[in-house]
Amino acid sequence: MKVIFSLFIFISLVFANDATIEVIKKVDTVPSIAVEDASISYDDTFRLRFFKTLIADLNVISIFNVDRHHRVSNFNDVNVLVKNKDMAYVLRYKMFEDDNGALNVQVKLINKGEDVFVKNYRVAKQDIFMFVSHAIAYDINEFMGKPSVAWMKRKVIFARIVAPKKSEIVIADYTLAYQHTILKGGFNIFPKWANKAQNAFYYTALNPKTPTLKYVDIKNGKVENIISSDGMMICSDVSNDGKTLLLTMALDGQPDIYSFDVTTRKYKRLTRYSGIDVNGQFMGKDQIVFISSRLGYPNVFTKHLDTDEIEQMVYYGKSNVSCSAHGKYIVYVARESSNAFSQNTFNLHLISTKTDVIRRLTATGVNEFPRFSKDGDAIIFIKNYKGQSAIGVIRLNYNKNYLFPLKYGRVQSMDW
Amino acid sequence: MKSIVLSSVVTALLVFSGCSSKEPAVDNKTEEVSAPAAQEVQAPVTETVSSESSVVSSTAENSSTENSAEMTMSAIESKLPTIYFAFDKYNITPEMQARIDAAAELGKTDAAKSLNVKLEGNCDEWGSDEYNFALGLRRAEAVKKALVTDGIDASRISMVSYGKSNPVCTEHTKACWAKNRRVNFKLLP
Repeated sequence: MKVIFSLFIFISLVFANDATIEVIKKVDTVPSIAVEDASISYDDTFRLRFFKTLIADLNVISIFNVDRHHRVSNFNDVNVLVKNKDMAYVLRYKMFEDDNGALNVQVKLINKGEDVFVKNYRVAKQDIFMFVSHAIAYDINEFMGKPSVAWMKRKVIFARIVAPKKSEIVIADYTLAYQHTILKGGFNIFPKWANKAQNAFYYTALNPKTPTLKYVDIKNGKVENIISSDGMMICSDVSNDGKTLLLTMALDGQPDIYSFDVTTRKYKRLTRYSGIDVNGQFMGKDQIVFISSRLGYPNVFTKHLDTDEIEQMVYYGKSNVSCSAHGKYIVYVARESSNAFSQNTFNLHLISTKTDVIRRLTATGVNEFPRFSKDGDAIIFIKNYKGQSAIGVIRLNYNKNYLFPLKYGRVQSMDW
Repeated sequence: MKSIVLSSVVTALLVFSGCSSKEPAVDNKTEEVSAPAAQEVQAPVTETVSSESSVVSSTAENSSTENSAEMTMSAIESKLPTIYFAFDKYNITPEMQARIDAAAELGKTDAAKSLNVKLEGNCDEWGSDEYNFALGLRRAEAVKKALVTDGIDASRISMVSYGKSNPVCTEHTKACWAKNRRVNFKLLP
């Protein structure tokens, strides 16, 4: 009996906090929250837009059972609305326009009749209201003492294909509600943030004779040529300190992975295989994870930076074409239909390098381009369905997926 | 109550307000790459307007020569084949090899031997974009090797991959996907 018990404890400890084990939370176990709109400026259309954005953000933080009814109240009322009296929390906000035309939002979180959290927000332009909503959700999540959702405040950069050989590079919030096209015209793809501050990015320009990696400083609009390669040139990953890039180049017609020192502009070839090696991603300090066709089909492998030691990471799926790594976790895309074409589904899977457990993260459609958030809390990915793209967010610890559709075009690639 | 301005929102504002004013500059920079070629063509045309008739006629001859050269180039390009591939493959089938052999013979003719060729590799809509770019490139590389074996100088051949971003057919059918798994020949002066 003791043996069984200690075995149980051992297994519990091994799997504690393992994101590959599915976390099933019942809706009843999270507290309820209602949102009361006490705005005194702006028309109903805008008020409703803000309300919906806030509801979406509160859902994404995954710590509340969110009531979706839009109810109007007065900001200074002591009691919550009668219909909300059974709610564990009530979030009340007041939007008003000040003399400078700026959007102001006063917020208070009410719990058991007490104002437990109070904060005011202000942005100069009404059309970037979604950043206020994300900030409110972020702050409430912090107040509740839950794991950080700092990724919510980060910007997504993506390339949108608008016609064959025509694309745009767009900067957006994580829900795509705000979109700013920063590069128009030409065929520019694979944008990648150059640093944590997100004030510069790399992209591949395919219009020059030779595919060229370029660097754009957002603050001053300067564009710089970094390196070119006949055939293909992709910046697959940027190290945490921004000093090293992982590139897929084909200097001799052979797609292989190279590391590139941003300061010295020198590159080093990391893989040598006569087939295809792409999608290099840093994994810890001394390893990369990448996609290779060395088994005759695309699959996930790791390689030590200083040795030639290469290890197969995935033993499932017929075509594992894309991956991303964070700590000991790897998320990858696997094709799951037996037929090459009909009813093709590409699903995301999560594995840990420490265990043999595979966790399937999506169930339907064509899910591509998974990328971990910087803190590993969430995965962002592209879902393509009937010619339309959406950006998806997976909250690993809460086992929830959220989709934010793109209004037009197809997302070619993205970073956040 | 004193307003608390959230620093991240301000940062977002600064960055985005910076973006909107800088956008034309970014676009201009991108266009500058192809600007010199356009200017060279425009220069003689401007001169003919203010010059004597003799200059006009000589320029006219020049431009007609250029036009006929372009005509020849596009005429040759129209005779060049498209090379198709199987799903997730970049090997050349015997049928496609025959097409490449014919293209190589065309490349050795007097009209074409001064021209360079750009091989554009493409894929169908399946698979990740990064992998597809590599697959498209391997297809272009396979055609390049076949052309070199057929006696075309490797220095005349450049390659680019467009992955799945340059489809000729956008329906979701097997026939359509097969049309997109291809290498195109584009002639360069």
